[in-house]
Amino acid sequence: MSDTADQTTSVPEPGAGQTDTIVLEGVEKIYPGSTQPAVSQLDMRIPKGEIVMLIGPSGCGKTTTLKMINRLIEPTAGRILLNDKDVTHVNGDLLRREIGYVIQQGGLFPHFSIADNIGVVPKMLGWDKQRIRERADELLHLVGLEPSTFRDRYPRQLSGGQQQRVGVARALAADPPVMLMDEPFGAIDPITRDRLQDEFLEIQRTVGKTIAFVTHDLQEAVKLGDKIAVFATGKLEQYDEPETILTRPANDFVSDFVGGGAAVRRLSLLDLARLELHPIETDERAVGNQNGTPVAEVDGSGKPVSWRHLPGAEASGTPLVTVPLSGTVYDAVDVMLDGSASLVAVVDEEGRAAGVLHWNDLVGGLRTRKGDA
Amino acid sequence: MNFLNYLASNAQQIIFLTQAHFLVVLIAVGVGSLISVVLGLAVSTGEPDPPRYSVDWFAAGVREGGLVFTAALLTVPSLALFALFLPITGLGVTTAIIVLIIYTLYTVLRNTVAGLTTVDRAVLESARGLGYGRMRRLLTIQLPLAWPVILNGIRVTTLISISIAVVGAVVQGPGLGILLLNGISRIGASNSFYQVLAGTLLCLVVAAVFEIFFAIVQRLTIPRGIRV
Repeated sequence: MSDTADQTTSVPEPGAGQTDTIVLEGVEKIYPGSTQPAVSQLDMRIPKGEIVMLIGPSGCGKTTTLKMINRLIEPTAGRILLNDKDVTHVNGDLLRREIGYVIQQGGLFPHFSIADNIGVVPKMLGWDKQRIRERADELLHLVGLEPSTFRDRYPRQLSGGQQQRVGVARALAADPPVMLMDEPFGAIDPITRDRLQDEFLEIQRTVGKTIAFVTHDLQEAVKLGDKIAVFATGKLEQYDEPETILTRPANDFVSDFVGGGAAVRRLSLLDLARLELHPIETDERAVGNQNGTPVAEVDGSGKPVSWRHLPGAEASGTPLVTVPLSGTVYDAVDVMLDGSASLVAVVDEEGRAAGVLHWNDLVGGLRTRKGDA
Repeated sequence: MNFLNYLASNAQQIIFLTQAHFLVVLIAVGVGSLISVVLGLAVSTGEPDPPRYSVDWFAAGVREGGLVFTAALLTVPSLALFALFLPITGLGVTTAIIVLIIYTLYTVLRNTVAGLTTVDRAVLESARGLGYGRMRRLLTIQLPLAWPVILNGIRVTTLISISIAVVGAVVQGPGLGILLLNGISRIGASNSFYQVLAGTLLCLVVAAVFEIFFAIVQRLTIPRGIRV
């Protein structure tokens, strides 16, 4: 299992001498019969193990850029390097077998069983049957589908979300270092999409692939991306971390594209675990405590169920809402709005109260915990 | 003499002609379909709108031209086509089969082209993205997915061929046409109507046998994942 060991070491520490897995140098694409380049003079480096989100209005060249990386679209000029190897002129079919590829509708082969769909690339690479079968089962597990239930089914027997999971599994089958994803969750309903995104991040934490991901959804770009590349008519306008894109757009185009909702979107980048939260009291003896700390009623397992005492407010009028510590400020705001509560109890994995976030904290400034930049 | 008596006393000839009819259609449809499917595959293009002067662009031209040409052939009256081939291939089974083959071309080619071009773009794009070469894509993805449509074309052309094969009797082609032609030319004479009736009914029997045959072929050759 040496390749698994490689993966764990391949997840780069921020700033720790990381290498760039995907490098585009002066890449250009002019479609036949067109004078305007679809992508012009593009230089871009994607560091190993990072997810880079390509975003922009339609016709901006983001999909063309993605498809030039695995040469589905041949660049007119420039060089493409994968792991320091120039792949601009190698055999395209062989190159694509070394790169994972996921598209919007999944693109599963309807006449292949799920296991056979996952096994297509390993089969082309000449793996033996036993190994292909084991790999398919392993990947079905990884994407949250029970192998014994799903391996012999056909794509049409699966929901859109399940098909997309299989699409991801198929792209991972031969363990490629690089994955290209072309709006993979674009045609999925919002609730399922949200779950798939979470699972996708979870999977990425274990596999540590270098990923280029095309989306038209800024929310998705902010949530999934280590970096975001904003495109406009064939040019890269800004290539930065999500927080920088939202707070310091490089030019008018980016700031227009990011739009007025930037401040709200930024909330989804703030992890609750990184914040200095207000204390919460769950001790029964604290009933009479009037020092301004809210007191919550807990059930047998220590989970807060209602407010016993809130400073400066009628405790009985405010419902107790909770948000997991693993969530973001965005989630906390969502819960507060939903429950018409001016404060929310942040709970840890066991459901025990870890602190409180007030509505006023949002405008009064959120304090990050000391020693945790 | 009633119809059953007629059948009984001419059983040997009738069975022979039915078998001959079946075989002529089988051979013509088999050869014609093979030609059409291979041609359809050869002129299939990877892109819906191929770039000018590329291989695909020429293939698309051959495809459209081929469809127009075979469609024109289909509209030529069968009687005329049999007559036109007489000076070249003479009387008998060869002429009958050649003409029948010509009539199978359009339907099967049209369905092959339609089947191949209506395969989901997303499926083909993902195949390309996973490293499927052109041939592998055509033979392992496009062809199996287009197969139900192609098979339907072959089925339709078979039914048409059964009735056109009857006309083949004018060039002394084998089959139930001999029975029908004979009966019509002697209409009013004894048993002439029974001959026509027997010829007609046995054409239906031949058609039924082919339908059963195709139902089995369909079952065996259409992949499970796309069976309706």
